[in-house]
Amino acid sequence: MTKNLFKPFLISFLAVSLFACSESEPERPLGEYEQGILIMNEGAFGANDGEVFHLNTNTDELKSNIFELENGRPFAGLLQDMILEEDRLYLVANTGKVEIVDARDFKSIGSVTENLDVPRSLVANSDKLFISDYGPYESDFSTPNSYIAVVQSLDGGTVSKKIPVSRKPEDMINAGRYILVAGSEEGKVEVIDAQTEEIFKTIDVEGRPMMFFEANGLVYLYSIASEEVIFYSFHLDNFTLRTTNYYPIVNATGKIAISPEGVAYMLTSSGWPDYQDGVAKLALFDSEIDLDWHNGSGFYGISYDPLLREIYLTNSNGFQGNGTVTVLDEQAIERRTYEVGRGPSGFLFR
Amino acid sequence: MILFVWVLSLFGFQAEQQDTVRLQEIEVNAAVFETFGLGKKQLNWDKAALENYQSRSLSELLQEKSPLFIRQYGPGMLASPNFRGTSAGHTAVFWNGIPINSPSLGQSDLSIIPLAAPDRIDLIFGSDGALLGNEALGGSILLQSQANFQESPTASISQEVGSFGQSATAFQAGFSGEKLAFQTKIYSQKAENDYTFRDLSLPGTPEKTQTHAAFSQKGIQQDIAWRINPSQRLNTSFWYNEADRKIQPPMGSSTQDIQEDQSFRLSLAYLKFWNKSSLEIRSGWVRDDQVFNQSFIQTSSFFLSGDWEGEIGKEWKIRLGSRGTHIQGNLSTYSSTDQRLETYQFIRFSGLNNINLFLNLRQLVVDQKWQPLLPSLGMDWILSPSFSLKASVSKGLKVPTLNDRFWEPGGNPELLPEESWQGETGLRWNKGFFHSELTFFAMDVENWIIWIPKGAIWSPDNIRRVRNTGIEWAGGTEFAMGSTRLKIDLAYNYTQAINQSNSEESPTFWNRQLPYTPVHQAQGGVELIRDGYSFRLSSQYIGQRATTLDHSRIMDAYSLTQLHLNYKKLWLGPVQVPISLRIENLFNKSYQVLYLRPMPGRSIHLNLKIQL
Repeated sequence: MTKNLFKPFLISFLAVSLFACSESEPERPLGEYEQGILIMNEGAFGANDGEVFHLNTNTDELKSNIFELENGRPFAGLLQDMILEEDRLYLVANTGKVEIVDARDFKSIGSVTENLDVPRSLVANSDKLFISDYGPYESDFSTPNSYIAVVQSLDGGTVSKKIPVSRKPEDMINAGRYILVAGSEEGKVEVIDAQTEEIFKTIDVEGRPMMFFEANGLVYLYSIASEEVIFYSFHLDNFTLRTTNYYPIVNATGKIAISPEGVAYMLTSSGWPDYQDGVAKLALFDSEIDLDWHNGSGFYGISYDPLLREIYLTNSNGFQGNGTVTVLDEQAIERRTYEVGRGPSGFLFR
Repeated sequence: MILFVWVLSLFGFQAEQQDTVRLQEIEVNAAVFETFGLGKKQLNWDKAALENYQSRSLSELLQEKSPLFIRQYGPGMLASPNFRGTSAGHTAVFWNGIPINSPSLGQSDLSIIPLAAPDRIDLIFGSDGALLGNEALGGSILLQSQANFQESPTASISQEVGSFGQSATAFQAGFSGEKLAFQTKIYSQKAENDYTFRDLSLPGTPEKTQTHAAFSQKGIQQDIAWRINPSQRLNTSFWYNEADRKIQPPMGSSTQDIQEDQSFRLSLAYLKFWNKSSLEIRSGWVRDDQVFNQSFIQTSSFFLSGDWEGEIGKEWKIRLGSRGTHIQGNLSTYSSTDQRLETYQFIRFSGLNNINLFLNLRQLVVDQKWQPLLPSLGMDWILSPSFSLKASVSKGLKVPTLNDRFWEPGGNPELLPEESWQGETGLRWNKGFFHSELTFFAMDVENWIIWIPKGAIWSPDNIRRVRNTGIEWAGGTEFAMGSTRLKIDLAYNYTQAINQSNSEESPTFWNRQLPYTPVHQAQGGVELIRDGYSFRLSSQYIGQRATTLDHSRIMDAYSLTQLHLNYKKLWLGPVQVPISLRIENLFNKSYQVLYLRPMPGRSIHLNLKIQL
């Protein structure tokens, strides 16, 4: 998710800067949702009530259910990921669809609603969409037929091809014409050639690869094991491992936020019987670890706001109703809270 | 073999049938709750009232004819009762005196309780752990089936066909003599549920046909009663039911889940009567097998109880009893057993003028842990020929289910039982053709168990305290206009179920009405009966419901209307052929009981019965 926060932020920031510096371009009024923070609320299993909230950071006004508000119908899905690609915002529902909205006004501009099973994330590459999907659950809840679905238009449409990959693919990241896929169950990183739509290479890694992110000009992979977390970086010219670093952080859940300076904030949960949740902090480039940076219960998602240098920590409140967002500064001091949607799990800072 | 016996017996009794008058059983054996469950709101449907519902489920009956709100995930899908704002697991369900709620889930799916099986259904509102035992917090549903002595032989077969691929076949036969009575019911029901709905999850909200909601169910129930001698009797019943369902996904999902349920239920009761007392030894066995996709769940329960009931003088009636229960659960993630022992005493005193008082007590021990004592106290007071007053105070208890305690991962063996205290008072009025009943209740439920995510694991905890208060009114009239009888019935319920502040939940959840608990519900019906024809128009109103505890989404209120047309005097020679037509959702309303779970529009059902 962090990749999806940091990169779009940079794109938005650069785009705004370029427009600001160009005297010849006519000024275009900002769309209502081009400023502020988009809050991804996953929704509750069986209820399909995932939605997006918008926080206007100038007025502190929180607008709820903006997909339904702008499109006159509920999102009706469990919102797994939210990816900004230029003016298109892709809303990936793990209940089997991708909704595509104009990132400026949230009006629907397309969708992928057929031939998906459990989509998890998405990247756009070579004017196509690539959607990671667990594939159908077998009767024993295994997913032996995971795939990357290919859609030939950035505005959605039908799935033209399914590229088989290792079980339970999660996050993806672009590297030129190639796409790296985090295969979370079998410990693999598959490299897909976006033009030939085939697997170009497979890299074996340890743990459960969860998320890619960029820092210091490199692509990193965050992988979790029961007793440690592992950070990999890659050579993108030949797709080999560049660095592998292990850190003794136990019970990591896979949710992570990364600052532009490479400081990682990772959710942990002790499990039975104490069920103590926490946030561990790790400075990737000097290996400084704070295992108890923040503690509590009910933590569900985490993200980093690079503008105000704050950490957004969410609480699902047991999925019994709306969740809560607590904003912490880099010293873990609580700054403010918001009541947001059900199962808040991610953010897009614009 | 059973069918063969019936065929022989029907031919054997054919000549006698024409001039034999059906007799009701002379020996009256009032249900325990009628004698000792005073001071409480009750509703019941007897065999005649259930006749028009034989092709349908308990869930449909309760939606149409009771003030309960039924949380239904689609037609034929999971349906659970909401008594007085409590949860599905706060309703005790009995069949012939034995509890049939799943020990692993702690609730029953009312969609797979077909009304082809029971002869009588009683609803008892509110907490009454002393009288009814575990799980009777919000209310209780009692199903009865029994073969009666000295009745004419009967046989009937009915066939119903309806919209959306619905069909139902029911066969029933019974014969009895002085010593033996038999009753057999065989039924089969199915529905494709291929109705259309507007899919809100897709761009343009296109109209789609439901493709994964097919339902089928079949079963057999056999009741045998043996009057050993004038003072001894043996009643036994066996009920097998199986249901196969394609689980309807919510809009926006395309899951293809399949669920198969099989239930075996056996009850055996020995009764011994003396002049002023009786002894009842009852045993029962319930086994539920469920396959959800490939995940297999099997639970079985064995019950053995002994009760003595007697009169002391003219004023006191006492019942003493004990029941032992052995429960075995084999689930995909755990196996577990549970041993329960409970003892109870019920006392009724009728020594005051026009006042009946009762005091009931029950003590339950679960796996050698003593549970809180369950008392209840109440009265019925006949104030005048027109007015009577009822009042009661009682406690209810629900032992955490097997899943609550042992599910891997997340089960919590340290859970406390959920407990409730309820007070209730009501005024009944009958005058001439009119009747009215107004009930007020107040209930506190503590240690309410909620499953919440703890890290990556969901686990139950005793979190909530909920205060339920409400008013229930029901009234109506019945009178004749010449040869036409007119019946009008009306009901209104006001229910508040407010989550109290607690340390575990967000303050935004405090002092809020529980999700999917309508504050307002109403229903009404008009029925005209003349010369074998009957016409009934009925309607129900379900008020707004919040989908979550913070009321961030409120679902619209809806009302549904049904039309029933029956003609009972069609004879083909010696065979009576009642015919009926039913239209559900008469005004073709688009509605959802639960969010994003579309329900069917108008449907038409034609039923033909051949009754010997």
